[in-house]
Amino acid sequence: MKWHIIFAAFAAFLLMTYAEEEEAARLLVSKQLLNKYLVENMDIVIKYTVYNVGNAAALEVEITDNSFHPDHFTHVSGELNARIDRVPPYTNVSHIVVVRPRKFGYFNFTSAEVLYRHKEDAGSLQFAASSEPGEAIIVSFRDYDKQFSSHVIDWAAFAVMTLPSLAIPFALWYSSKSKYEKLLKPTRKH
Amino acid sequence: MSGKSKAFTKEEELLLQDFSRNVSTKSSALFYGNAFIVSAIPIWLFWRIHLIDIYANLISFVLVTLASTYALALAYKNTKFVLKHKIAVKREDAVTKEMSRKLAEDKKMSKKEKDERILWKKNEVADYEATTFSIFYNNALFLALVIVSSFYILKTFTPAVNYIFSVGATSALLALLSTGSQ
Amino acid sequence: MMNRFIIFSILIICGVSEIFAETCQKPEVIASAYVTEDATILTNVAFTTQFVLKCSNGVKGITLYAEVDGKSLPAARLSSDNKYQVSWTEDVKKARSGDYNIKLYDDERYAAIRKALRNGEDPNSVKPLVVVVLNNPGIYRGPWINSELLAVLLAALVSYSAFSSKFKLLA
Repeated sequence: MKWHIIFAAFAAFLLMTYAEEEEAARLLVSKQLLNKYLVENMDIVIKYTVYNVGNAAALEVEITDNSFHPDHFTHVSGELNARIDRVPPYTNVSHIVVVRPRKFGYFNFTSAEVLYRHKEDAGSLQFAASSEPGEAIIVSFRDYDKQFSSHVIDWAAFAVMTLPSLAIPFALWYSSKSKYEKLLKPTRKH
Repeated sequence: MSGKSKAFTKEEELLLQDFSRNVSTKSSALFYGNAFIVSAIPIWLFWRIHLIDIYANLISFVLVTLASTYALALAYKNTKFVLKHKIAVKREDAVTKEMSRKLAEDKKMSKKEKDERILWKKNEVADYEATTFSIFYNNALFLALVIVSSFYILKTFTPAVNYIFSVGATSALLALLSTGSQ
Repeated sequence: MMNRFIIFSILIICGVSEIFAETCQKPEVIASAYVTEDATILTNVAFTTQFVLKCSNGVKGITLYAEVDGKSLPAARLSSDNKYQVSWTEDVKKARSGDYNIKLYDDERYAAIRKALRNGEDPNSVKPLVVVVLNNPGIYRGPWINSELLAVLLAALVSYSAFSSKFKLLA
């Protein structure tokens, strides 16, 4: 039993030293939506952040996101396929894409794919999947506007409606008042 | 009132009886029409901005608008009554001056008749100014209080409750204030 | 051990860049940019710019580094030849309007900057390969005054005038 433990510890030690010796990049990729609300036909900002947690630089890091189908999203700025030549160890880099949803309703935001070389001389490419933002609701523009617009036009209409009921009596009263006050002034001066 | 009436002549006192709360049908119609319009305007705010369900709240719209119309008309009347005396006193000199200038050419008219004309004119001016000002004053307060209560005080309530309380309470408050301040 | 490795790898990079990548002569960029101006529904403002780099000596596919307001960013290479993207985000409250100078450096110049920083020299002495200017005309964060508040203020003003007139009449 004791031997078992010692052996396991030794194995772990070996593994650790081996891992330490092996200079390789390891990437963690996050995909975030930087929106408070997702609204039909309004910008959605997607930020891909690549963290290199390995101890070597990752090379030819290629981010590909196929989850935004042109039927569902219009592409505004930033490309859904980008390559960053080098991500140094223990650093992160980010890439940003702006899209606009064409339709409203539930949409499942899935992960993006990342391919990279974890070593200078690596023969094959490493694969990493980004985090998934998950299912989110895209609000229709009409609903968004109703809820969050400042209702400037509605208030203006309200002002137009209330104006006669305030301005007319006030104007009538004021004109009579000033007429008689004017009449009175010269007499007081004399 | 008794204190003030000492300053008035007999004829003026007779005239003052006309300064009662009873208003003519013409000005009554004016009050109710105005009160109705102003009471109905908040529905727009609740429909467009508070997004109240128009059809579900049709009954409360009708009832609250009617109640508010009545209360506002009452407020108009009371405010007018309070103001009319004050305005009559304020305008006395000016109206007398205007009328005596106008009637000076008419040599046939007796002094008594001239005085009556002046009194009548004074009553008319005071009535006119008190009516218009009362409408303006109550409308301004009503709309301001409805906006404040519906967007700030009762914001957390559902639109239906918010409507009933903000419009109902505001008009009731105005009616109450107008009777209290005489 | 680690230090030696870093030096070694830098040497390799420099060597590689000297061997393969010629420097870009007379660089020209054709850039397009997009800023998410309507930030009412965003937590962060996105600044993105895409550009095509043209060199008179026909150099292609070089690695570019960008620096904006002291932040260093990689220039991502896009699918088409010699097309790059530089993008970053800023907090909606902090994003300033006006011109942003995106200074682009190639490997050689970027290494020179790093060296200058290490030796405590002024990194601005290294001239960028090319500068792309991104203009942010200003972020819309929603109306500056709430309509309700404006309505209340106006209503209060009218009520005040009504009150003061009444007070004068009753005086």
